[in-house]
Amino acid sequence: MITGTLLFQSLILGVLLGGLYALLAAGLTLYFGIMRVVMLAHAAFIILAAYIAWRFSTATGLDPMISLVFTIPLFFGIGFAIQRWLISRLKPATMTMMSVLITFAIALIIEGLLGQVFTGTQRRINLPYGASSVDFFGAAIPVVQIISFVLAGLSLIALYLVLKKTRFGRALRATIQHREAAQLVGIDTNRTAGLGFGLGLATAAVGGTALSLQATIFPSLHWHWIGPLMAIIVVGGLGSVPGAAIAALLLGIIRVMLELWWTPTWAQTIFYLALFLTLMVRPQGFFGGRLAQRF
Amino acid sequence: MSTKRLTRGIGVGAVAMLALAACGGNGDDGAGGGNGDGGSEDPIDIGISLPLTGDFAEPGKGVERGYETWAHVVNENGGLLGRQVELNILDDASDAARVVSDYESLIARDEVDLVFGPFSTRLVVPASRVANEYGMLFVEPAAAAAEVFENGFENIFYAAPAIAPDHYNHLVDHILAMPEDERPQTMAVAAMDDPFAQGTAYGLRDKLAEAGVQVVVDEVYPPNQTDFNAIAAQIADADPDLVVGGTQYQDAVNLILALQQLNYQPRMAAFSTAPTNPEFPEAVGGAVEGILSPTGYSNEADWPSNAEFVEAHTELHGEPPQEDEANAYTTGQVVAAAVEEVGCAEQGECQQQLIDYLRDATVDTVVGPLAWDEAGRPNGAHMLLQYIDGEIEIVLPEDTSTAELVYPKPEW
Repeated sequence: MITGTLLFQSLILGVLLGGLYALLAAGLTLYFGIMRVVMLAHAAFIILAAYIAWRFSTATGLDPMISLVFTIPLFFGIGFAIQRWLISRLKPATMTMMSVLITFAIALIIEGLLGQVFTGTQRRINLPYGASSVDFFGAAIPVVQIISFVLAGLSLIALYLVLKKTRFGRALRATIQHREAAQLVGIDTNRTAGLGFGLGLATAAVGGTALSLQATIFPSLHWHWIGPLMAIIVVGGLGSVPGAAIAALLLGIIRVMLELWWTPTWAQTIFYLALFLTLMVRPQGFFGGRLAQRF
Repeated sequence: MSTKRLTRGIGVGAVAMLALAACGGNGDDGAGGGNGDGGSEDPIDIGISLPLTGDFAEPGKGVERGYETWAHVVNENGGLLGRQVELNILDDASDAARVVSDYESLIARDEVDLVFGPFSTRLVVPASRVANEYGMLFVEPAAAAAEVFENGFENIFYAAPAIAPDHYNHLVDHILAMPEDERPQTMAVAAMDDPFAQGTAYGLRDKLAEAGVQVVVDEVYPPNQTDFNAIAAQIADADPDLVVGGTQYQDAVNLILALQQLNYQPRMAAFSTAPTNPEFPEAVGGAVEGILSPTGYSNEADWPSNAEFVEAHTELHGEPPQEDEANAYTTGQVVAAAVEEVGCAEQGECQQQLIDYLRDATVDTVVGPLAWDEAGRPNGAHMLLQYIDGEIEIVLPEDTSTAELVYPKPEW
């Protein structure tokens, strides 16, 4: 019943899906690293970016990816503003819990506004290359998935380079590792945290645009994403961007492969099974994860 | 001075309230003695609860528009039994608990003369229970799942041509009438975990499987699924002749695009609900050629009252009616037929007479002539639509068709 071709095809699709998961989860783990903030609105911003891409594409007839030119700076600004004027005002002792409430509210506001403006109708961008695929050793690779995988890859590489090679990246990592020590060596940790938050939200802009290429979108879609993404960053080790990327890739592949044997309903549970397993066996996460040990 | 004015104000208010109470009393008396001459001036009050907000708001509003058109047309033509009809519509916010209290208060407190059903299986089932307790006739426009008719209630009637498992009956007959070597030999089924969507797809699957068609893929996915690549990969790998989608809307769009991306070309493709959505062709990038879909209603169908309905609805709401509107209008037509025949519209014995009448009646409606079995299931099947040269055509049954079914399906 399950042929070699099907296994290979599913593996390819799993890798592509995992790439998208990796990008979507990267921002989420970054916020936690910087501020111990559980950012429930991350997925809502992803859907917002997808809606902007869809609206841009239907209004101008241009490719939705061009909308990235303005959504990336816009989301960076919104992220900076949210951190500076909302999150940073929370008391450190109740930060994690209160941030859940605040970002939950932001998610509801975004969902409500999207529903108000664009109605609850499901939208999908009609792309000239939407149904095309490339033959790869007998497996068909959908063009839209290649594009979103490349977008994810480029963004993750850019994020990695920013964190590792730039002065700002070093300041950000210092802020993540030890806030007081970072302040002692002269880092403006408040500003750095704000910029870091902006960086996280900018990944949501790229992720949302990639998502809009390959699936229908609707205002409440973010609830279906936030659960698996949260599970991914715990499995990968809270605060670790490479950890989140590896966990996302693995879980994406496993999910698609499981659908061959399980029903799609059960295959979705892999994220939560992985979450339980991680919390039982290695609560700090499987990759990176020096941070989580401190909780 | 001011005290005096105040007292006078209260006095006027009290008198007004007394007058109102008196009017209310008169109204009740009139309704109670509905057979008398005095009562014939009172409007017939029809109680309805609809999901005007919440999950089912979109179709709920469609049903509301259909009911409004029906009331409008009836009142234009002199009403029912010479009485005008009035709709008493409550919003249940798509909540199964609210729908129960809505119908209880409509029947017990507002003492409505008749009730019409709400939208969706989830709300019709609890509502039908309330109506059954009060012995009310319950004609409903929108619960096609088989479970609705398995509660042993004798007051429920579904105002549409067929319940979900029978939607594809004409297609089954058509396929079985083909020479054996031309028929689809294999089929794949993907259905949303939803009683209606599964009902349609499994009706077709079971009947074809019995006739020897091999089911090579049979998948169920949750309603929130947006990523259909894995399901599409299995279907493409098995390469069946026929693909059947038990779909609503977004799932059909995502599945069809995923199938195209994997270069799968079925010889026949049938999806429920989604293809009749006006946004569907654009959403799938125009790749609609040859797609089949069952539908209970068409603006073009030449049933006696349909032209009048389409015209009145377009005038009242600015656009031609869809299936939800048509089923609501049909509900009105079915109840009206019973009321006119039996000659009463009030609570009490009258309701049982209406139920008994409909049990054996055949009613002409905008979706064709309807008759019901003992559980309230309509005994028809749905028309089959197919996209041919970019237009939706009726292809089955042959006596109402506007074009011939295209098989094998052109490539998408």
